[in-house]
Amino acid sequence: MHALIQGVILGILTGGVYALMASGQTLIFGIMKVVNLAQGAMVIMASYLAYQLFTSFGLDPFLAIPVTTVIMFGLGVGVELLFLRPLRREDKSELSLLVTFAVALLIEGFLSVSWGTTYRSINTGYANSSWTVAGYQITVVRFWAFALSLVALGLLFWLLNRTRFGRAVRATVQNPESARLLGVEAQRVSALGFGLGAATAAAAGSVYGLLYPFYSGSHYDLISRLLSIVVLGGLGSVGGAVIAAVIVSTSSAIVAATISPAWSEMTFFVILILVLLIRPQGLFGSVSRGAI
Amino acid sequence: MLQSNRLRRRSGAVVVTAALALVLGACTSASNNGGASASPHSTTPLVIGASISLTGDFADSGKAVQRGYDLWAQEVNAKGGVLGRQVQMKLVDDASSPTQVVSNYQNLINRDKVDLVFGPFSSLLTVPASQVAKRYAYSFLEPAGGGPKVFAQNLDNLFFVQPAPVVKSGDVFADWVLSLPADQQPKTAAYTELDDPFASPIAENIRARFEAAGIKTVYKEVYPAETQDFSAIMSKVVAANPDVLVGGTQNEDAYAQVKTLVQLKFSPKFMFLSNGANSPLEFPSKVGAQNTQGIMSAGDWFPGSTAFGSDAFAAAYIKTYGGSADTIDNSSAEAFACGQLIEAVATKTGKIDNATIISSLHQGTWPTLLGDLSWGPNGAPSGSFNLIQWQGGKLVPVFPAAIAKAAPIYPKPNWGG
Repeated sequence: MHALIQGVILGILTGGVYALMASGQTLIFGIMKVVNLAQGAMVIMASYLAYQLFTSFGLDPFLAIPVTTVIMFGLGVGVELLFLRPLRREDKSELSLLVTFAVALLIEGFLSVSWGTTYRSINTGYANSSWTVAGYQITVVRFWAFALSLVALGLLFWLLNRTRFGRAVRATVQNPESARLLGVEAQRVSALGFGLGAATAAAAGSVYGLLYPFYSGSHYDLISRLLSIVVLGGLGSVGGAVIAAVIVSTSSAIVAATISPAWSEMTFFVILILVLLIRPQGLFGSVSRGAI
Repeated sequence: MLQSNRLRRRSGAVVVTAALALVLGACTSASNNGGASASPHSTTPLVIGASISLTGDFADSGKAVQRGYDLWAQEVNAKGGVLGRQVQMKLVDDASSPTQVVSNYQNLINRDKVDLVFGPFSSLLTVPASQVAKRYAYSFLEPAGGGPKVFAQNLDNLFFVQPAPVVKSGDVFADWVLSLPADQQPKTAAYTELDDPFASPIAENIRARFEAAGIKTVYKEVYPAETQDFSAIMSKVVAANPDVLVGGTQNEDAYAQVKTLVQLKFSPKFMFLSNGANSPLEFPSKVGAQNTQGIMSAGDWFPGSTAFGSDAFAAAYIKTYGGSADTIDNSSAEAFACGQLIEAVATKTGKIDNATIISSLHQGTWPTLLGDLSWGPNGAPSGSFNLIQWQGGKLVPVFPAAIAKAAPIYPKPNWGG
């Protein structure tokens, strides 16, 4: 029982980090109807940036986030302008799969050449520390990672719900044609939206690098998890992605504690298949329009 | 139409080339069969070919092997070569690919007509490469292919240049634990094993020994290679509260196991990690130097070893490549040992050819910087690894007594101590 509760605590904390990564992914889909297969690669790239800032300048990965966010936002806008905008409108969704996969491979190649293919990890002074609460261990890194994810998600919700840009984004998600008629510059929203998705990858990347060792090819594993979270939550629904992330990481922790850790990796996909059979639009998705 | 013509022409060219290659191959292999048989003290260089992974998955280890081979050639040439012949290493990159490694050895033997060949990095590449060497009756000294599949081939030309097959590398830990007075031995054990032919069998061998000796298994888990998060596994280890934790590990999973145990504030009385904990630089940098104290692993070469030629090797390595003795990768030492064996055979027999190497190494024991080596008929070494332990931030050999530089520390101090 102790092992189960301990596992669930750490599972919920980890879920926060996946929520952050998946929110960027689902946001990009909501705005542009683009399934961004490069989201995982962007997270790993941000991990490398945080790693480099830490090893070269001793900058704490949490404090590095403002720096990496700006870089990744720029990269995201660049990718949208260079690779996605030229796609013809009618088959954009299908083509974007190929294009973003190519972007993922480009990023992977760049990371391999720049940093090699050996595993890296960010080992801060507090990397192995934990607090004991009622006999359970709360690891410092996971706690702050969770807290950071909450703050970043809060900012994202504020941006989407309380700002002019957010209203434009939501309008575009709900009905691109009407939004355009009302004077929303869809192209600008797309570029900024993609940049915003990449920026969440920046924050998530710092945290990911603190939690797990990574190398240039780590994004394959990551993107498969992110896609299943996003589909589970409902494509385009940021709130759904957050809840889905916590559901899958908690349930995989429960499976690991009660059945076997060897089965826990599969939990993601079993849940995904069940949801697709019972509720194909995902937990919080809607069939006709995006939902944020 | 144009395209199909071109295709046909191209396939015609392929057929002609293939036929030519076959004829040439047959000629060269016939003339070359049995390898070098040059008379002693001839002045022609002794050319030794090897395929090395300079790129791809094994690039880092491959480069370490390359440094070992090159360093040996440099050192032996400074002493006047092997039987008066200067050694030339011919190293080619196989990009860590099992198909490329076959082409490489075929080219080295048939086209370049090297006198001898040494092995590549990893069992994955050693298996196909050793088959090529066998076909041309070349001896195959290999520093880095110690998995069961290598020895299952039953090749008499193959010699794994390490003290024992990889799966038996943990036996020395069982030897030591079971040599302790009964009241100091652990009573319960947990086994956390990576699902990998080079990790899990090591722990399983230890488990068989422990269970036979009455040490109760309280937890065992074999985890898949993709496992990233060890909190669930380690939480279960903590709940089982074992005296000894045996990790059948590679690298990243070994670091993650230690880090997670530190976070969970559980320190077993004995802890053995088959791999990962034996890397002198990576391990303390990944888990924190203060958390290494008392952790055990297995190794063959270590800085300060008094084995044959070890000091000279370390000094030459530092002079050539810089760094300190602690930064030397064991793969370099193992590669260097292949060269030492060639020298030893030449000195003992006055000859250096493949048949002599094969028949000589199958008899007696041969001193190397890894200790004295001897082999069974399938090339599996019949010695054992050394038990090494982290003490004061350094890896120290602690068992068997003949090579120990310090007494083993047990029970393992708490994390951070």
